[in-house]
Amino acid sequence: MTWTKRLPELQFLILCTVCCYAFLELFITPNQLSTFSVLSAIDLILLSFLLSVLVAIISVIAGVGGGVIFTPLMLAFTSIDTLIIRSTGLVVAMFSGLVATGPFMRKGLADIKLVFLGSLPILTGGFAGSVAAIYLAKEMAETGDSFVRLLLGLLLMVIATIFVLGGASTEYPEHNDRSKLGRILKLRHMYWEDSLQKPIKYKAHNIKAAIGLLFIVGFTGGFFGLGGGWAVVPVLNLVMSVPLKVSAATSGVLLAMGNSAAIWPYINVGALIGVIAAPWMLGQIIGGIMGAHILASIKAAFVRKVLIVMLFATSVKLTARGIEGLFGISIPLM
Amino acid sequence: MPTRRKPPIPVSGVVYGEIIYWGTCISALLVIVGTIRSFLETGSLVSVSYLLDAALSGKNVETIWAASEIQRVPNISFYISTWTNGESLTVIGIAAGVLSVIPAIFFSSVYLWRSNNHIFAIVALISGFLTLLAPTGWFSP
Repeated sequence: MTWTKRLPELQFLILCTVCCYAFLELFITPNQLSTFSVLSAIDLILLSFLLSVLVAIISVIAGVGGGVIFTPLMLAFTSIDTLIIRSTGLVVAMFSGLVATGPFMRKGLADIKLVFLGSLPILTGGFAGSVAAIYLAKEMAETGDSFVRLLLGLLLMVIATIFVLGGASTEYPEHNDRSKLGRILKLRHMYWEDSLQKPIKYKAHNIKAAIGLLFIVGFTGGFFGLGGGWAVVPVLNLVMSVPLKVSAATSGVLLAMGNSAAIWPYINVGALIGVIAAPWMLGQIIGGIMGAHILASIKAAFVRKVLIVMLFATSVKLTARGIEGLFGISIPLM
Repeated sequence: MPTRRKPPIPVSGVVYGEIIYWGTCISALLVIVGTIRSFLETGSLVSVSYLLDAALSGKNVETIWAASEIQRVPNISFYISTWTNGESLTVIGIAAGVLSVIPAIFFSSVYLWRSNNHIFAIVALISGFLTLLAPTGWFSP
């Protein structure tokens, strides 16, 4: 565990978090919850924290943001208000990226120019998405929730399909056409590839198309509380021809910035409930670090397959709940 | 002959990363303190058990807050004015992590300008102002 020696502050943070939950569980006598009579409030917080660590580990290994796992599962299988789920989803999507920003930048893996190139479409898209979500919730209430579930169910099917076709991602993409805008913006860089023990040079292409796509990703991320790690990596890697490692690191940094604007409309309408979001935030920070270290020693392909099955199953459940709510019919599913 | 030397890492990126990294660590500590305080305080503004019960039973956001002790939907000003409360401190902690992006963008833009990346320095400034405007609630419905 050399990383704990290199990052004593994270070791301290993990220790504080574990001590916090151990203290609450051992020394505080909380009220039982009436909705879950077997669980106390503290049990539920601890359970959320452990689930968040698990979600973070899976999402890091599978190369997606945690929001893609958290938000659909909670929308499909709980009756918690969709605004609360989506605001917590943004916290889940954001914090593993925020804490990873430092290490990614120190190692030179995330490209600061690409981060700022994508910042405007992601920020404006994410903000517009979250404002639209709150507007829909206010105007359409229950119908709006069902509409969101149906839309997310369909979007999730698209995401799962992208993952199935994800084999198209290339480690070091080659592109022969010269991008004029890329040349003007001097979008060329290099990073040190540890596995090859040599620097890798790359140039970004298709800038205009990528900016348009990033706005759409920002909007869906803000609207559904998904983040957008599932889409930013393909945009950077497949559309802009940026190496996969740089795409993954830049995606995390970019989404953390984009979601930082998208979350405010939710906070200002009281949809971010601290006691619910806190264990998910802490779990993302700790699980994100653990996942990054587990990644080196396990087969990511297996986890990715499990995630694809989970996404398809959740999309069916979400679509069914959306149809039930919109048309008042009952679809017998688990 | 191909070079095997490690390429230089842009200072603007390192500055951006360090500010956010430490901001997130500090915010996580605030959230931990806020969580403990939520469970320890006796005369709290909003009971933790009430919030969890109300959320799990499927009540919408407005109903949850209207039926709580504070009887109104809180915004960031409310949380700041009641910062000693556990729930408020937890939300402020999360917000602090989110806000760490703002100084990071502005400091990074200075280093981008110094390294002759003027277009990106300006884009960073615009992004910084957009991120700065988001908490004000001006564009919220």
